[in-house]
Amino acid sequence: MAHVVELWRYRGLIGNFASRELKSKYKHSVLGWAWSLINPAATLAIFTVVFSTIFRAQPPAAHNGMTSYVVYLFIGLVVWNFFNNIVNGNMAALVGAGSLLKKIYFPPYAPVLGNSLSALVQTAIEFVVLLGVLLGVGNGWWSFLLTPVLLALLLVFATGIGLIFALLNAFYRDVSYLVGVVLQLIFYATPVIWPPDLLLAHRHGELALHVLQVSPLYQFVEAFRDILWRDVVPSPSRWGWLLLASAVSIGVGLVVFIRGSRDVSEEL
Amino acid sequence: MSERPPAVIVDHVTKEFKLYRDRRTSLKELVTTGRPSRYERFRALDDVSLVVPAGSTYGLIGSNGSGKTTLLKLMAGVHRPTKGTVKHNGRVSALLELGAGFHPELSGRDNVYLNGSILGLSRKQIAAAMDDIVEFSGLRDFIDTPVKVYSSGMYVRLGFSVAVNLDPEILIIDEIIAVGDEEFQRRCFDHLYKLRKRGVTIIFVSHSMPLVQTLCDRAAWIDKGVLRAEGPPTEVVDAYLATINQAERERLDSTGATDLLSEDEDTTGTGRRGSGEIKVTRVSFLDAQGEPTLAAATGEGVTVRIHFAAREPVNDPVFGLAFHTENGVLVSGPNTEFAGLRLGTLDGTGFIDYTLDPLPLLPGNYLVSAAVTDRTLLHVFDYRDRAFTLTVQPGSSPDRFGLVALPGRWSTVRRTEDEPLEALS
Repeated sequence: MAHVVELWRYRGLIGNFASRELKSKYKHSVLGWAWSLINPAATLAIFTVVFSTIFRAQPPAAHNGMTSYVVYLFIGLVVWNFFNNIVNGNMAALVGAGSLLKKIYFPPYAPVLGNSLSALVQTAIEFVVLLGVLLGVGNGWWSFLLTPVLLALLLVFATGIGLIFALLNAFYRDVSYLVGVVLQLIFYATPVIWPPDLLLAHRHGELALHVLQVSPLYQFVEAFRDILWRDVVPSPSRWGWLLLASAVSIGVGLVVFIRGSRDVSEEL
Repeated sequence: MSERPPAVIVDHVTKEFKLYRDRRTSLKELVTTGRPSRYERFRALDDVSLVVPAGSTYGLIGSNGSGKTTLLKLMAGVHRPTKGTVKHNGRVSALLELGAGFHPELSGRDNVYLNGSILGLSRKQIAAAMDDIVEFSGLRDFIDTPVKVYSSGMYVRLGFSVAVNLDPEILIIDEIIAVGDEEFQRRCFDHLYKLRKRGVTIIFVSHSMPLVQTLCDRAAWIDKGVLRAEGPPTEVVDAYLATINQAERERLDSTGATDLLSEDEDTTGTGRRGSGEIKVTRVSFLDAQGEPTLAAATGEGVTVRIHFAAREPVNDPVFGLAFHTENGVLVSGPNTEFAGLRLGTLDGTGFIDYTLDPLPLLPGNYLVSAAVTDRTLLHVFDYRDRAFTLTVQPGSSPDRFGLVALPGRWSTVRRTEDEPLEALS
């Protein structure tokens, strides 16, 4: 309970950490905020060239019947980037706040949660562009209104994981490198660049798919494709799994972090 | 004020830090050695207990590395005690480093919001104090510029302004009074004084003993992690200085003294001249008990002994001394002629004493010249310019400002009648 009170009392600080990050991020770059879109756009272009043009990957048809790999990939990539940015950013945020934590008391989760919020703002911008594209190609349906709900769930899920790794990283700096490697593995284990149907063409594809589907990230990506590509409401079991995973993640993350971070100012 | 619960209670607090031998553990090490980390434990504070009364100004003194800052950090909640507890009554505003939370790319105003929220204030509270902060810092023209273009002085001014203007209940300050220009320092003191009158508890670390004595209601002296003394500031400062002086005397006696006493030819001074019929062989300092010393104390007795050696009989020589400050100001230059002494004919070796009781020089290092001349003071037999050093330590004199303690007395206040009051307006 005391922690909830403290969290509420320091909400302004969390917000300020977020705005500090956003405001200082693209200072002194000529293109400024444009970079936050140029980067994903470049990744999108590269993957599209490699997988669609060279390997001839083809997504399942969208609600309006189109099979544009770029748009299909765009959805997956935005979701992945959000998760990836939070987990990596959270680790950096805690270490970055180290010198401050040694001088003034504030809850160490404040810079971490602030980082998640700033990632949310960035992702929101990407989503605005994405929704514009979807409307442009005529694949908009009211299911897109579920976007904020799914985003909130993903924010909570990713932050729970980010908190744990941020704490571990404060004690063992190897963790951030390790996480970098693991995230790459997870990226390819999640249907971001490949449509799940592609797996079924392989001999053990069905089994592999069953295994991969356990990953909440798999479910997140597919849930976003439900509402933005297939234009359907995700199945109740999918919702259940996402809710459960998010609740467990943030619950465990916060408890572990608050318990473990009491002396973290000495380790930074 | 006395009914308020104490602002901070430090109860049997011990704090140990891990000292990593070679920075930190990597996972590889964890796997290969099976131990989480290779470190030694360093005890920064050992069973310290003290109570800071609400509304008091509390000073922490001690040498570098004695654990003062660690104690402040524990009071500020930055670290947790290894053993014991620290309790607060009131919101703590800690200034362990001014402008610590400033982000260089953000404007002064944005940084005020950030810093304020770190101190636990809401946006509304900060907005309410914004004008005072800007006014106090004197940075109105720069408040919307990124702080990276600020000078270090401006940085500190803004940091201090934020901390003291955000309505602290307990203010914790680590050696910050020495920053900023004279004008700003005065403003800081003014403000601290106001906060104090308003009942804000102020806890600060300082190496300025006069400051501790004038500003504090209570003080604590920490030495190597142990609380050595706690109580009224004058007593604590005295106890601290006594130990420091003792240590310095021992150091000087063991090193400096032997060097200087054995010295005959001039090596340390800025110059030596004279015809040499009679020479000053050395100068030594004696304390009130007649024991050789290199450190004297203001307000206590000291004797300057000038040793001489005459090659041939010299008629009526005059011995003189000069006391200079380290930056070259001549404080005084007494000699036997002005004192009306006729020394007669001197031959061989001997010494003459010049006794100051009480010593009026205020603490500092003084360079002492010694000379022997004829009665006209024009012919110099031997002149050793600033060849000797006298260290003066704080002693029984209450004076603090200037170079010397004048032997003045203050009267009591007397009322006057019929003074025209218009003179006031």
